[in-house]
Amino acid sequence: MSQVFHDIEKKIITSLRDNPKQSPESLEKSTQLSPDQIRRGIEWLKLKDLAIVFESKSSVISLGKNGIESFEKELPERRLLNLLKDGPKKLSDLQKELGFVFGPSIGLARKNNWVDFSSNEISIKNPPSELPGEKTLKLIGIEKLSKDKIDSADLSGLLKRPDFIVEDVIKTKEISLSDAAKSIKISDSVGGIDVEAKVPEVFVARTHPLKDTIDEIREIFVTLGFSEILGNITQSSFWNFDALFTPQDHPARELQDTFYLDRINAKKIGTPEQIRKVSESHKKNWRYQWDINEARKMVLRTHTTCVTIKHLAENKPDEARIFSLGRVFRNEKVSYKHLVEFNQIEGVVVGKDASLKNLMGIQREFYKRIGITKIKFWPTFFPYTEPSLQTMVYNEKLGKWIELFGMGIFRPEVTKPLGITQPVLAWGGGIERIAMLKYDLGDVREFYNNNLGWLRSAKKCQ
Amino acid sequence: MPVIELSYSRLQKLIGKVSKKQISDSLPFLGLDIESEDKDLVRVEYSPNRPDYSTDFGIALGLQGLFGIKTGPIKLNVKKSNKYLISVKSNVSRIRPFVTGIVAKNGKIDDKTIKQLMTMQEDLHFGIGRKRKKSSIGIHDLDKISFPLVYTTTNRNHKFIPLNSEKELNISEILDTTDVGKDYGSLLGQSSQVPIILDEDQNTVSFPPIINAAVTTVTTKTKNLFVEVTGLNKDDAEDMLSVVATVLQSAGFTLESVKITGAKNSSPKLQYRKMTVNSSLINQILGLNLSSSKIISSLKKSRLDASSKGTNIICTIPAYRFDIFGPMDLVEEVALGYGIQNLEPTISPSQTIGKTNPVSLKLKSLDQTMIGLGYLEALNSSLTSKRVLYDMTNRDSTKLLSVLDSKSREHTILRDSILPGLLENLSRNIHESYPQKMFETGTVFATENPISEKISFSGISAHKDANFTEIKSIIQSALNIGFGIKIETKTATDSTFEEGHCASIMLNNIPIGIIGKIDSKIIENYKIRVPVVGFEISLSDSVLKN
Repeated sequence: MSQVFHDIEKKIITSLRDNPKQSPESLEKSTQLSPDQIRRGIEWLKLKDLAIVFESKSSVISLGKNGIESFEKELPERRLLNLLKDGPKKLSDLQKELGFVFGPSIGLARKNNWVDFSSNEISIKNPPSELPGEKTLKLIGIEKLSKDKIDSADLSGLLKRPDFIVEDVIKTKEISLSDAAKSIKISDSVGGIDVEAKVPEVFVARTHPLKDTIDEIREIFVTLGFSEILGNITQSSFWNFDALFTPQDHPARELQDTFYLDRINAKKIGTPEQIRKVSESHKKNWRYQWDINEARKMVLRTHTTCVTIKHLAENKPDEARIFSLGRVFRNEKVSYKHLVEFNQIEGVVVGKDASLKNLMGIQREFYKRIGITKIKFWPTFFPYTEPSLQTMVYNEKLGKWIELFGMGIFRPEVTKPLGITQPVLAWGGGIERIAMLKYDLGDVREFYNNNLGWLRSAKKCQ
Repeated sequence: MPVIELSYSRLQKLIGKVSKKQISDSLPFLGLDIESEDKDLVRVEYSPNRPDYSTDFGIALGLQGLFGIKTGPIKLNVKKSNKYLISVKSNVSRIRPFVTGIVAKNGKIDDKTIKQLMTMQEDLHFGIGRKRKKSSIGIHDLDKISFPLVYTTTNRNHKFIPLNSEKELNISEILDTTDVGKDYGSLLGQSSQVPIILDEDQNTVSFPPIINAAVTTVTTKTKNLFVEVTGLNKDDAEDMLSVVATVLQSAGFTLESVKITGAKNSSPKLQYRKMTVNSSLINQILGLNLSSSKIISSLKKSRLDASSKGTNIICTIPAYRFDIFGPMDLVEEVALGYGIQNLEPTISPSQTIGKTNPVSLKLKSLDQTMIGLGYLEALNSSLTSKRVLYDMTNRDSTKLLSVLDSKSREHTILRDSILPGLLENLSRNIHESYPQKMFETGTVFATENPISEKISFSGISAHKDANFTEIKSIIQSALNIGFGIKIETKTATDSTFEEGHCASIMLNNIPIGIIGKIDSKIIENYKIRVPVVGFEISLSDSVLKN
């Protein structure tokens, strides 16, 4: 089978078959491709294990400022010897002619015993025909030369002189074909592309993962016969607490647990009859002076139960399955497991046949549909339901039981003052907890960080 | 919810023949959540409506019932006595009008019992006592007190040695310098007179609801106790006393009565109540078909007493079970005694047809449209900060809606717009690849009668070529394709947007939103390096309008 290659790859392979080891520069010449094309072509072939790139480091020698001067005018000591060719000369004359190289040239010639000093004259003694370093100087010239091509003994003297020699370390690449590439058949097809090559990542636009869980839970309850109702996020304390039999001095109503809106009070909180009957129920059962001003204080709802109870009080159905879903608030310190604002679903079943066992059955069915089968029920306490239960679900990964939805039957102290005559089963809980299990998140804050890295990579899980 | 530490070995001694595992398996079925376990110790959370579970004595009584070791009600055997008298002066009526009490004799008090009694006292103060406001308890060494006592008031110069102190302090010093004084002093208001209990020799016994006198401190050498409860309401005070009395009797004390007279006060009765519940209500609510005898035995396991008369169950409720308001509470007692684990969940076919709310349906449809246009959905808190909402975006903050005493600085203001949150999101993603396109729908708030809530929709696009035309095309298509709504844009100015690149979004000549290129100063504030365009429209005023 022959393989389709890009034109660049084809040219490189062909050139390397003729001349098996080449530098990128040499490939440029032989293929007439640009340096960038060569670079990309080599990269592609390397990824396919067709090209082998051998990288090595080597030292390159070139002449520095003084080296070039000596290359052009000869070495200072040669210049001195040249001046003395025609007979001895006075030091002062030499100084004039040689300028600033006078000192070093005299020093070297004297040290090597190439000159004689008599009174204030200097004469040539017995210099070699080629001085140390002259060969190397000529060899390098204005080129860059690999260090291993130079006689290191002849170079050593020059290296000691300032600004004579510049030494660079350069990386060189040698490209060759792998064994596979040597025998591969190159397809003749023109314009084919490499269908096995990697492609850039694109990001899908999507709904928020938490929203997916919310929608899934909504869908489940709709198919279980529940209808969705909506209600306000800001509520009077009357509907958030008083109507739910939570006494006005209950700790949950304190500023440290509930968000109260600064200087905002509800004008109308309920019908006169509702207010009268709710306040009477509080006075009788909790034995305190119920204060309407306390009930007027506006709060950010602490549960969606206020929405359902208001709906029931207004509509008084004999038979109903309804739920409410939305943001609720708690004045808490934000941490990996606590948010000040989160989503809650809360629903009720109204009907003369409504029983605790039905309520448990609905819960079990719901958990089954979100994939949780190991559940159990424990008794618990809520101010507005009696009896009250909580669901415990077993999390295999954590190896422990986790508390999920709470449930119960609305107390007569809640339903009677509002004119609700049938038993009302109620259940509800936080959605983020379930979503955390689904997305395997350890930190609930991630849902609201809008971190694109996570949103773009989190798997859709259904 | 309050938490109490228990010891399995101590519980085993109190309950009778049960294993540690049986106890730990049964605790949740009393409504006690196990917080943590460490060898012999277990920490459980109990509901504040069951103050009798604030000690291991109370929990042992409950478990005995569940195990069937001892069932039926706990009878308080209070021996009538004339030795212990408290007379109440009418001057307390304006401050803390009621006192009640009981004497408990011949008990054994070890360190662990003292610890249990102290946590009980603290939990009762915090819960049903409402931080000592409604009612508070003092427990004293009976033998250090000479009766009769008087409950009266005194002025703030009155001196005595308070608990945990070595020297005499006056009332003002106690309120100013001790921890309890500082915590609860405000309950007494500014009144110059404060409540006090004095004994026959004018020695101070207690300064309710703040502190006892040091002289009556309970130690492991104490044999006999005197308990007083003071409060704003006679019934509340007696409720609290009934819990303490029940616990002390279970701890092995013999109870003797205290006589109380004067200023509308009277001796505590600590009596049973009778309450009738129809067995059909029980069976209907629980979804069971229990016989009267099964109901009665279940109630007995819940440490109540009951008998039947026809289909009615007549229940006898001890005084300390003041959490029982009416028949529905008895239904729960039957369920607990019967065992929640024995209730088999059943699903009954629904008689109703479920329906998603039309608003949710429309929002979901909008989500799908925006995804089709390449926009990613974001979710931000609606309770956010002034920095995000106003400071970073140069928006007018004069009508901000804030909450009181937030524990988190990032969550103090209700949003009146979604767009600022999305800009904040962009600033946290400058290292991620562009283009970045996001949208969000959610509730926004405004002060109006007293608060209006509307559903708003915002989108932003950030990349090197982002421009007005692009973002206008997006909102135009989203509304037209999604909802058949045709919008127009009209030149406008807005502090969030750049001049000349900003318009009002109009529907039938009424502004429903704003659109444009985000002002470069805001982009700089957020260190975003590409241009950003965005819009925000009120869905309540357009798509969701009836």
